[in-house]
Amino acid sequence: MMTPRSLFFRKCINHLLSLFTFFSISVALGGMGWILYTVFVHGLPVLSWEFLTSPSKPYGEPGAGVGNALLGTLLMTLGATLLAVPPGLAGGVYLAEFGKHSSLASVLRFCANVLMGLPSILVGLFVYAVLVTNTGHFSGLAGTIALAVIMFPVILRTTEDMLLMVPDAMRESALALGMSRMRATLCIVARSARNGLATGILLSLARVSGETAPLLFTALFADTWPGGFFTEPTASAPVLITEYTTNSPFESMHAMGWGTALVIAAFVLLVNIVTRCFFYENRH
Amino acid sequence: MIALLLTVGIFVQLSIHAAEAWQHFGISFLWSSEWDPAIDSYGALPHIQGSLMTTALALIVAIPLSFSVALLLSETPEWLNRPLSQCVDLLAAVPSVIYGMWGLFVLVPLMQDYVQPFLLESLGLLYMPGGEWLFGEGGSGFGFMTAGVILALMILPYMSAVMRDVFRMTPHMLKESAYGLGSTRLETTLYVVLRYGIRGIIGGIFIGMGRALGETMAVLFVIGNLMESPAGLFSCGTTIAATLANNFAEATGLQQSALFALGMVLMAMSFGIQLLTRYYLARTCASRGENY
Amino acid sequence: MKTDIKISARNLNFYYGKHQALFDNNLDIYANKITAVIGPSGCGKSTHLRIYNRIFELYRNQKATGEVLLDGKNILSSDMDILKLRHRVGMIFQKPTPFPMSIADNVAYPLNLHYKLSRSEIADRVEAALRGASLWDEVKDKLKASGLALSGGQQQRLCIARALAAEPEVLLMDEPTSAIDPVATLRIEELVMELRKKYTIVIVTHNMQQASRISDRTAFFYKGRIVEVDETATIFTNPRHQQTEDYITGRFG
Repeated sequence: MMTPRSLFFRKCINHLLSLFTFFSISVALGGMGWILYTVFVHGLPVLSWEFLTSPSKPYGEPGAGVGNALLGTLLMTLGATLLAVPPGLAGGVYLAEFGKHSSLASVLRFCANVLMGLPSILVGLFVYAVLVTNTGHFSGLAGTIALAVIMFPVILRTTEDMLLMVPDAMRESALALGMSRMRATLCIVARSARNGLATGILLSLARVSGETAPLLFTALFADTWPGGFFTEPTASAPVLITEYTTNSPFESMHAMGWGTALVIAAFVLLVNIVTRCFFYENRH
Repeated sequence: MIALLLTVGIFVQLSIHAAEAWQHFGISFLWSSEWDPAIDSYGALPHIQGSLMTTALALIVAIPLSFSVALLLSETPEWLNRPLSQCVDLLAAVPSVIYGMWGLFVLVPLMQDYVQPFLLESLGLLYMPGGEWLFGEGGSGFGFMTAGVILALMILPYMSAVMRDVFRMTPHMLKESAYGLGSTRLETTLYVVLRYGIRGIIGGIFIGMGRALGETMAVLFVIGNLMESPAGLFSCGTTIAATLANNFAEATGLQQSALFALGMVLMAMSFGIQLLTRYYLARTCASRGENY
Repeated sequence: MKTDIKISARNLNFYYGKHQALFDNNLDIYANKITAVIGPSGCGKSTHLRIYNRIFELYRNQKATGEVLLDGKNILSSDMDILKLRHRVGMIFQKPTPFPMSIADNVAYPLNLHYKLSRSEIADRVEAALRGASLWDEVKDKLKASGLALSGGQQQRLCIARALAAEPEVLLMDEPTSAIDPVATLRIEELVMELRKKYTIVIVTHNMQQASRISDRTAFFYKGRIVEVDETATIFTNPRHQQTEDYITGRFG
């Protein structure tokens, strides 16, 4: 005779799973809520017009702000976008439309994957080795390039994925109208994948704007406005946060770190939410 | 093209700059545990161990969590699902430096004041056999466990996004036939959905692993930055990425070269994970014969 | 003859959200007979079948009212244990659904689910189930091979073996041959007729020849209502309703 398993026991285990799923999602969401709450509570009191527009100063001097760091982040992020988007787009188009199955393409794809999986601090190391040692100084430019190196493979793969999502029938009908391959891609395919591309670019932009590790020894940090962007160390918000919180014993500097964190977090989340909403609307 | 150049370029550059250290210490750099700038002697072992340990801790915490988050996300009704998914995705978008800050100012005191005393003293875990070995000299709040928890929180959204897609891709009829045989939800998930999507699950885990391994900032804030091999869960230590971030800007000469060599080790590890993933995927693909 | 009724649906209504899919279905399923359910696409025949093991409950917004009596007990009431019910009432789907594991493990799955058995007992029962599904001779040398490596017809018989392994009382078949080639279909039909000796079978089919070949009784569904239920021979030679006649002579559907 077969001994049946206890139904009660099986159901108990099953209920434990349900409980655990709820526990997990509350950990995930609770964690996020907690982080944002902390940033908000600590960051809000320091926010002021002066805080946002004055340059940072050594401890003790009045009127200190984080304006230079914010501007530096803005410049570096935009610069990185300018540097990374054209080759990223071109590479993605190549992978999706022209060299789909060639061996070169699969090598490229592999490299892009490796780059994407590469810890960002190594990118910083690389740019240091190439640029900083050769030019002899830390600079905003080096930081920009490091960010661009991080952005590039993301944009490449996003472009490819988006283009591959365009149905083949659309491609074929464009070609059937007598367009050249190049024109078909540019006009029809890219147009229908436009939203996806924009989303990809914006999201990677938001991501690199919060990147710290690659900037630590490329752009370094400075208490001045980013004047000598190409030749001098340039401040950036994430590095400022790191400096102010780990290397400083002063409460007031911690508070400024929180304030900067709030600005960065707000920016990143805003870009994310806006692009996602925009993207969803267009897709449905 | 640029991708190719960059990949090769990064590797070549790291090699060039690390050459001096390799020449100086030879292959034993990998298992030498000394790190002393005063006598210019450097070894990679504590950093490698630290990286592996934080990554392992993060995975242990994050795998069950992300698995069940993904399960929940794949089975909730549409109106609740979208906002929940979006929230989890947003968790991935928060810059790592903010995780680090939160870890430093919230999690570290929490661990120090409540979690560690509770586990060690109240539950008496420290005094059980092997307790000292397991937990090490804790009490500061900094250390591997704290880093592992932060990392787990960071990689959770990546992993659960991949797993969620896997769960969603499981054919309805396959799930129905499992339920139809009288399986509970847990049994269906564990024996059927998990097997069906094992490739995706493993892929997701590898993604999380890669991120945890290379994450710098969040770890840097809470690890304690002690150039010693891990002495226990609550002890301070360092990881490759944290060491790089901490020392590189001031390093010169042989120390800098040693740091480059550390970078190479990290690169090799992250590269190894990717190769492993690919190999694994190719192999399971072949052994399963065909896909649905 | 009353005792021979295995399943009895009483005033069964079914809703997908606000949309009502079944209207006052009354149907008796006789023990150890094959009951075929026919009707045009979307008439509710699959929906009806999916109530018998409450598989519809996996989805939100789906709701059944009325009664389905299995051996006189209402399965829709909350004190019917759903796992026990599904243990007693097995189901075969439109497409073969072997689990991504070996052939032997597929068949052993329900055994391990419901019972604590030794390895040798499992092996015996797996063999018995595979024999029962007339698949044993084809797979006995490759029990460790993936269930996915079999042909479509074999996969479907594997699913039948899997359903048989748990020794259900009723087998529900939801268009079991719709994704399978004609030769394999014939083998499955032979198998189903063989299984009648031990099991009560309800088979949904859109293939009228199939219904007339294998079933003892036939129910004709149209737009969520049961138009006619009778001996298969009667339905196909002498239907009482005009709609039934039109459908089986191929005038619509």
